[in-house]
Amino acid sequence: MEIKTKSEGSTLTISVSGRVDTVTAPELEAGLKFGDAKCVVLDIAEVPYMSSAGLRLLLTSHKAMLAKGGEFKIVNVQPSVSEVLSITGFADILNIA
Amino acid sequence: MTARRSLNVKVAVSVLVAFAASMAFSWFLHNSLSERDAYALIDRTFANARAELTDCINERLVVQCMEARERLEDGHPDDTASLQALARELRVSEVSIVDDKGDIVRSSVPDYLAGPGRKAFNFAEADDKDANKMMGLIDGRYTEYCQPYRSNAANGNWRKFVGVWRREGGFFEIGLDGKALQSLARSTCVDRFRNWRVGGSGGIVVTTPTGLVLSDYEEPNREGTQFHEPGGSFYWKRGDIETFPVYVMIPKMSAAVQRDVLVGATALLNGAALVFVALLVGFVIAAFVRRQIREQEAKELAMAKDIQLSALPNVFPPFPDETRFDIMASMATAKEVGGDFYDFYFTAQGRVLVIVADVSGKGVPAAMFMMHAKTLIKSAAQTGKPLAQVFTEANEALCEGNSSCTFVTAWAGELNVNTGHLTFVNAGHNPPVVRRGSHCEYLKTRPSPALGAMEGVTYRVDDITLEPGDAIYLYTDGIVEQPDPSGELYGEGRLLGLLSRNVRQRGEILKTVLADVHRHAAGAEQADDCTQLVLRYRGEPDVVEHEYAPTLEGVAKAVDDLTAALERVPERVRAQLLVAADEIFANIVHYSGATRWSLSVEHDHHPDGVRLVITDDGKPFDPLAQRDPDTTLAAEDRAVGGLGIFIVKKTMSPVTYKRRNGLNILKMGRDYGDQD
Repeated sequence: MEIKTKSEGSTLTISVSGRVDTVTAPELEAGLKFGDAKCVVLDIAEVPYMSSAGLRLLLTSHKAMLAKGGEFKIVNVQPSVSEVLSITGFADILNIA
Repeated sequence: MTARRSLNVKVAVSVLVAFAASMAFSWFLHNSLSERDAYALIDRTFANARAELTDCINERLVVQCMEARERLEDGHPDDTASLQALARELRVSEVSIVDDKGDIVRSSVPDYLAGPGRKAFNFAEADDKDANKMMGLIDGRYTEYCQPYRSNAANGNWRKFVGVWRREGGFFEIGLDGKALQSLARSTCVDRFRNWRVGGSGGIVVTTPTGLVLSDYEEPNREGTQFHEPGGSFYWKRGDIETFPVYVMIPKMSAAVQRDVLVGATALLNGAALVFVALLVGFVIAAFVRRQIREQEAKELAMAKDIQLSALPNVFPPFPDETRFDIMASMATAKEVGGDFYDFYFTAQGRVLVIVADVSGKGVPAAMFMMHAKTLIKSAAQTGKPLAQVFTEANEALCEGNSSCTFVTAWAGELNVNTGHLTFVNAGHNPPVVRRGSHCEYLKTRPSPALGAMEGVTYRVDDITLEPGDAIYLYTDGIVEQPDPSGELYGEGRLLGLLSRNVRQRGEILKTVLADVHRHAAGAEQADDCTQLVLRYRGEPDVVEHEYAPTLEGVAKAVDDLTAALERVPERVRAQLLVAADEIFANIVHYSGATRWSLSVEHDHHPDGVRLVITDDGKPFDPLAQRDPDTTLAAEDRAVGGLGIFIVKKTMSPVTYKRRNGLNILKMGRDYGDQD
């Protein structure tokens, strides 16, 4: 798994590459450091699939950003990931561009 | 049938005999009844006529006697000569006066009076009951009295005496001899019988003692002519009433007609009743016989069906551990058993034979022939003989003594389950459909003759090679020859179209076809047995199986293996499988307490699909039994637990769980073509 971060003003963009599953989730969790960013954009264009271990991270990130009045956006969602998001109802509660 | 006819004849004869006997008895009865009735009627009529005539004459004579009394009381002289004159005047024979002692004191007949050496005739003393009764006029018991016409006590002359009461005691008496009586009665009484009718067309004839007709019932009447006694054409009786011969007579014709009408009516009624009873009996017997026959036929039908069905292997899958091929077969029998069969078995090492056949004819004979053919082929095939030789030998055996020319069309194929090489023989049967990949076509080869049709036939085999996933579909003509209500057959075109549209179905295709055939029949009864068999060659399965450590490292290795195994699987399905597998792996390493676990991947051919089998020795856990999370809650309220299993259930089909030998065995997979 590869995680790249890019900061532009108060917006933090995190690009993830690779599957998100039980094995890789801890790695991703470690990479999700938001600092004082007001807006976090998670680019998962390179994530071929994601299991519930990844969903957990999305949910906690979303809740954390909401708690401090910020925003957590997910962009470039692959169809396989999108499918899991809609099955679980996460598509409705997360901020997906 | 012969028994039925002779039974009918017996019934008919019995009915006729009974009818004739009944009619004879009825005629005899009515004949004797009519004679008896006629005489009873004559007797009754006679008694009435006697009463009528006697009353009439008596009344008439009492009037005459009263006339005499009046004349004498008015002073008519009462000496013998004067009384004789009075008698003449009154047209009677005698006139007498009797005193209060019963002595005749005056009389037109001197013999009655007292004379020298003789006392007067005394009514009280006379040795004559009729005479004694006249004393009632003196003692006041009655005022008038009429004796019958009879030989009298005084001088033996035939007379009828009538007396009326006399004021100063005693009585007046007149007497009439036969001639006087007749002349008096003739004018007033006898003719009242003219209008009497006896028994319809009979009547009463009154004559003089010499036979001159006085009163006749016939028109024109014979009065004044000499009467001749009736002969044998009448029931009749003659009797004398007050000197008059009286005949009461009934023409036998009339009675006979009455009798015949009665007998005829009875005959008609009896006849009708007999016909009715005969029809009823016939109907009941026919219904009974029909029922017997129906029951017999139903029994035979059930027996034939039993023979047919019990002979067919009917447990599917027939070889549960066999991964190289699978077989599904079904037979939907028509109401009338057609003699279809299917069969499959291993012939020699690594070869499986499938056969579908259709015996000509129906019912028990077809079922028996089917058993024979099936057994012959199976026993020959299982000795390891080549298929062509099996058919050639079976044909010789079936032709032997086959006087009914029953034959059986059959298509048999022998599959080398390791190579997919299929050798087949077609004995006059419908061409099967072969599916290669997703393309269906008829496997048309020049057929050999049907088995049992002709001796000395040498059967040829053809062959094809099936690739893993290819299948061959066998059927009997009940499928393609099912007519719709307009008579149009289901046909090979429809069958091929249906199979082509449903290439991904496996065993279910048989139900799909049968349903479509029934839909085509549109409510009509299934015309013939519909027998189908599908043989799918799967080849050697592509199985990867590894055991892993219950750690994230183990999971990482398993994911790598699985990713490699799914290399050729379409992307979307691959992602679904990897996600689902990850959910299960996570459960195993985080929660199960398993010490080891394994994953096997099984690729399936046609329809293409993958099955994952994940086994662990952890605590029992049935993911299918878990409750689904609420996916509608807001983000703040959502928890992540349970989502993984939910994803598995939503994306995998089929999913099965078993707990066996201390192991959780979860099997899940996807067919690539499935849409959801």
